[in-house]
Amino acid sequence: MDRVLILDVRDVTFRYPGVARDALRNVSLGVSGGELVALLGPNGSGKTTLVRVALGLQAPLAGSALIQGRAAAAWPRRELARVVGVVPQREDNLFPQRVRETVRLGRYPRLGAFGREREEDRVAVDRALERCDVTGLADRWLWTLSGGEYQRVRIARALAQEPQLLVLDEPTASLDLRHEMELFELVRRLVDQQGLAALLVTHDVNLASRFADRLLLLSDGNAAATGAPADVLRREQAELVFGWPVAVSSFDDRPQITPLRRHS
Amino acid sequence: MRRWAHRTHLAGGVIALLGGACHGAARQPAGQLTLTDDAGRPVQLAGPAQRVVSLAPSITELLFAIGAGDRVVGRTVYDQYPPAALQVPSVGDGLNPSVEAIVARHPDLVLLYRSAHTDAAAQQLEQLGVATLVVRHDALADIGRTARLLGRATGRDSGGQAVGRSLDSLLAQPLPPVRTRIAYVVWDSPPIVIGAGSFLDELARRAGAENVFHDIATPSATVSIETIVARDPDWIAVVRDSAGDAPPAWSRRPEWRAVRAVREGRFLLLPADLFGQPSARAPEAIARFIELLSHRPLAT
Amino acid sequence: MKWLLLSAALLAALLAGIVLGPAAVPLSDLLHSPIVIDLRLPRALLGILVGGSLGLAGASLQSLVRNPLADPFLLGLSGGAGLGAVLAIALHAGGPWAIPLAAFAGALLALGLVFRLGLVGGAELDPRILLLGGVAVGAFCGAVMTAIVSLAEASELRNAYLWLWGGLSGASWDGLRVVALCLPIPVLVLLAAARPLDLLALGEEPARHLGADLRAVKRRVYLAASFLTAVSVAVAGVIGFVGLIVPHLGRALVGGRHLRLLPASFLAGGTLLVLADTLARTVVAPRELPVGIVTALVGVPLFALLLRRWTAY
Repeated sequence: MDRVLILDVRDVTFRYPGVARDALRNVSLGVSGGELVALLGPNGSGKTTLVRVALGLQAPLAGSALIQGRAAAAWPRRELARVVGVVPQREDNLFPQRVRETVRLGRYPRLGAFGREREEDRVAVDRALERCDVTGLADRWLWTLSGGEYQRVRIARALAQEPQLLVLDEPTASLDLRHEMELFELVRRLVDQQGLAALLVTHDVNLASRFADRLLLLSDGNAAATGAPADVLRREQAELVFGWPVAVSSFDDRPQITPLRRHS
Repeated sequence: MRRWAHRTHLAGGVIALLGGACHGAARQPAGQLTLTDDAGRPVQLAGPAQRVVSLAPSITELLFAIGAGDRVVGRTVYDQYPPAALQVPSVGDGLNPSVEAIVARHPDLVLLYRSAHTDAAAQQLEQLGVATLVVRHDALADIGRTARLLGRATGRDSGGQAVGRSLDSLLAQPLPPVRTRIAYVVWDSPPIVIGAGSFLDELARRAGAENVFHDIATPSATVSIETIVARDPDWIAVVRDSAGDAPPAWSRRPEWRAVRAVREGRFLLLPADLFGQPSARAPEAIARFIELLSHRPLAT
Repeated sequence: MKWLLLSAALLAALLAGIVLGPAAVPLSDLLHSPIVIDLRLPRALLGILVGGSLGLAGASLQSLVRNPLADPFLLGLSGGAGLGAVLAIALHAGGPWAIPLAAFAGALLALGLVFRLGLVGGAELDPRILLLGGVAVGAFCGAVMTAIVSLAEASELRNAYLWLWGGLSGASWDGLRVVALCLPIPVLVLLAAARPLDLLALGEEPARHLGADLRAVKRRVYLAASFLTAVSVAVAGVIGFVGLIVPHLGRALVGGRHLRLLPASFLAGGTLLVLADTLARTVVAPRELPVGIVTALVGVPLFALLLRRWTAY
């Protein structure tokens, strides 16, 4: 299938100012339309840093980060927001707001400071709500939502931007089993049905293995392995990267990691 | 039982001795003074005060007026009148007195103006063994009383009586008919006027000028400009330190032009050394007031 | 509908400010009376402009520093203005406009200082630095001001605090013209920032990802809101509570979208201040209360009611 490469990060090296070690060394990452890539690795392995460099928020010391062929740092922010929809880890909404209002904020990149809201904006918001299965919550106050519902609303806001690429930074961090599954199913559905590209940073190795097309496993700023889940999640590799003995099994034709007990 | 009886007898003996001593002290030795100040406190002085610290400009002025200026060894930084007072060392602020600075002048009497601020200082001085007298004079009638009290305290009874008599005769005169209406404006933003609680109100009345804000009981109050316009005084009285004929700067502001007296330049510029505080020179102040009323309006 | 209500309230307040007052002006004389034309009308209009500015500045700043308790005077402006006024009085600066001009200059200096602090170390107007810097600058100015007042001998200085207390007594047509000239640009700048401020309410990172040019928006909002506050404090001293409460009133009325919240805050602020000033002039007539006291007395119960709403969510 001929997929459009949207995110193209090549051999980037990055170090935070004043720090002795590289945060990233020669890491490459590519995400095309219609594919779901999961970014894995232990804490401090450089996942969030890689995302920031990929989006042009930090300039790499070496290598390049392109979005749709243009340097990520060169994109004007509003234009970039029309192509990339980001759902960051943290959001701190100060004031009470309703679901529809917060999703409507996703239209800003296409409206600007003074643009009048048009029919197409209303339609885009409705469509985003529908795709994330939160239409019924449209008039609810945000603070009344459960964690899972709130995450789906945030994804709906990103969808309202009508992006080509969705970036989600640990979206299931505090969700229960049902909501976590619902979220992964939703992202998979968006990738399959809308042809979106999706980059998902997560700690849930097993769900990533089952839902993603490709994985990138980071370790200490290096790309430990990249490719299909079966190629990345091998026992020796996983034990080395995660620093814990594991057993590898299979489910849905995908490798599943089970950490072993040290003292049994 | 026996031991208890002994103790009672002993106690009784001690009490008898003490009683005798107190009774002896009630008879005043020559020169000792017992005064009652304006706070109602009885104050005892061994003799007429020789080293007096005054903590209010009006008190300093009165001391000089009754002829006790040579006894003044400390004044506040605000005491500017009479000119001789400037030779006396300053002990700082009067409303928030520095007890240290006061005691450094080795006074045998400290005079304070009665207010909540000075009560604490008075107590501290008492604890240090320094005699204090608290006085208060807001109305013209109080000046004579204070003068007489200060006269007794400093041994200048004749001076005190003279000032007292001068003010008594002033107050005994019938009030002159009201010939004109005035308002005192002491600040412009916000506008602050003088009310009936201030001696200035009385001074004006005795000069034949009615204060349009006499219905306000306090010494001063904030009012709206429109109230001044509505009450339409013939003159605006301003107390100022500096000399000169220029009307106050705020009179040039557009919103004050609504006041007729401001438009017509009818300002009474009262010198602060005569009108700044209640003093023995009240008769002089009244005469000056009457004289100013006859002047031509100022160019504005 | 709500806008009609707000506008009607503003008009009602304006009318009250013209018709009511300590001086009895019969209704038939209303249009000719110099008290109404030269004093009450410019005063009521100034109340609208100042109250509106404070409400608008308050709403913008609360969103900028992401703190619902922020008040325009938290940023050190009142300290700078007070210091300017006190210096003008202590140095016997001539001219009837000396104090307002000096207060304005002082407020701008404080503004510049806090702005500079907010940029220290490459920080892009970090809200915490703005708040802390504002408190520090304000405290410093206040201390210097108190020192001057207690050390200097000019008796007028003791009245300097009264000026700082705030009030619309200095209102005139001339002054109103100057203020009216100063307002349009900062007001427009703030209205243009309405949408970016909506985004900023989510947090700086989400706002950036949604396309907001945070650097430019934060600077513009800070400078425009502070400028409005500086103008207000120069002509009317420090009138507390308006900038703090009005944005919450606005939110309760029209919701959190800044395109509605900002104009609503302007209207509500103007209404509140004119009403407070009318009360200040009439409640203890012939005396006048400092308007800052009335805004607090009226504002605090209102605020308490709003707090109940907040926790009832």
